[in-house]
Amino acid sequence: MIKKGLGWFYIACVLIFLYAPIVVLMVMSFNESQYNALPFRYSTRWYEDLAQNEALIQASLQSIIIAAITGVVCVILATLLLLGIINSHSRLKNWLDSLVVLPLTIPWLIIGLSILLLLSALGLDKSYPVLLIGHIVVSLPYAVMVLNARMQSLDLSITEASASLGANDWTTFWRILFPLLFPAMLAGGFLSFIISFDNFMISYFLIPTGLSTLPIEIYASIKFGFTPEINAVSTIIIVATMSLLVLMAMVMRSSLKNMFK
Amino acid sequence: MKKRIWFVSPAVFLLIAFCVVPLLIMVYYSFLSDGTEGHLTLQHYIEFVQKDFYVKLTFKTIGISFIVTILCILIAFPMAYVMAKIIRSGKNVLLMAIIIPFWTSQLVRAYSWQNLLRDGGILEEVLRTLHLIGAEPLGILFTNTAVIIALVHIFFPYMVITIYLSLERLDDSLIEASKSLSATPWTTFRRIVLPLCKPGIFSGSILVFVPCLGAFVEPRILGGTEGSVIGTVIEDQFFEIFGWNFGAAIAFILLLIVLLSIAILSRFTKEEV
Repeated sequence: MIKKGLGWFYIACVLIFLYAPIVVLMVMSFNESQYNALPFRYSTRWYEDLAQNEALIQASLQSIIIAAITGVVCVILATLLLLGIINSHSRLKNWLDSLVVLPLTIPWLIIGLSILLLLSALGLDKSYPVLLIGHIVVSLPYAVMVLNARMQSLDLSITEASASLGANDWTTFWRILFPLLFPAMLAGGFLSFIISFDNFMISYFLIPTGLSTLPIEIYASIKFGFTPEINAVSTIIIVATMSLLVLMAMVMRSSLKNMFK
Repeated sequence: MKKRIWFVSPAVFLLIAFCVVPLLIMVYYSFLSDGTEGHLTLQHYIEFVQKDFYVKLTFKTIGISFIVTILCILIAFPMAYVMAKIIRSGKNVLLMAIIIPFWTSQLVRAYSWQNLLRDGGILEEVLRTLHLIGAEPLGILFTNTAVIIALVHIFFPYMVITIYLSLERLDDSLIEASKSLSATPWTTFRRIVLPLCKPGIFSGSILVFVPCLGAFVEPRILGGTEGSVIGTVIEDQFFEIFGWNFGAAIAFILLLIVLLSIAILSRFTKEEV
């Protein structure tokens, strides 16, 4: 019993450490003080200021657009990749595995600057497509990992069964594989969306002039002093992500149930 | 289904053209004297090795990553042990609770640590109210300590999860057997639990140590001038000094350290039979 009590106490301490910065941020977004100073006085002025801050809103929208494109493209590329290596021999698979995890093992700082050097070597300017490609490259491994985990758990003999009953590959994909893979596609897309949405390093190196994303704006305002609107916008994002996460969990569960009906 | 190996081509093309090729170009740049035109030279590497500042910085970066990794193990191991072997209930909820902060941006968390740790900030107020410190300022922000705290905060969930997974697989009867053979808890820990957890601890270490080597956001925001590491120096070269060739050389050295660490650490992640 004492062991259990001590255990819970320890877990509580660690969780306090883990959540302190997040809770403080949320609380401070409702604090009147411009310098995040105590004592706490309730105010919604930072949310009102945020609603007026055109630059921050534009940057947030831009981040959402980039992340959405990244999420969709990553899921498509990852699905194609995994369909492509069905039944292929293991040497090719190993080779592809190491290629796919490359952006995971190399610091994003290095990936960002090396794409910048590629542009400079080709004599090209920073542009929106290249920014998108940078985001896709670093988010793709996450989508592949999620989808691959699902693929591994599937019994692929069902595709052979489908083929032997005269279905062509297209039908087999849409009627058999797609419904089975869909929850993982959703999860993989969501994960790459978040990776791209939070990504600062790649955007920092590749953002064209005149464009901004939310992390870039946040970094700029941290550099130039306190801006409590950052607390407000971060709180909104955290709440939105949590709700999406819960929603995802519910969708996944119901689709998992459907599969076994 | 028919073999359609060409399905892999879009992803493979993207990764080769925008990850492998740029890295090769980076290496090429690091051997060029100036810009795209200069002649081939080793001058940037010689400069790096000759200047005390850069050599010290390299060791400092490795040192910080090492300290963060050790702290993560020390915090994560008891947590994972309690979750896997002592309380056993509500594990999924706890795992969720550990993963959720992963979904908040690193930048935002660094910013929040700034508010918590600065002089006259929240942590100082709390500690003073508890009479744990006197009137003097806290003096943590813009030191290496602040950087280490923030890095541990970002990365220790990975360590909890990898150690938890290896403890989960550890058969309880082994612990019972050790106990019944009258081993002390310390002996059981040292001879049974630790060796069987070793792969988990080392895979966690890869997930913590390697990203720490390339950290940029935390040292820049929380480290001030004291906290510069390889990552911030590379950024300086690209955004302040415009020494791209030298920056590429430092980045290549960082990349080599990363690859070497992965190679060394992953030797210990295999399960011994």
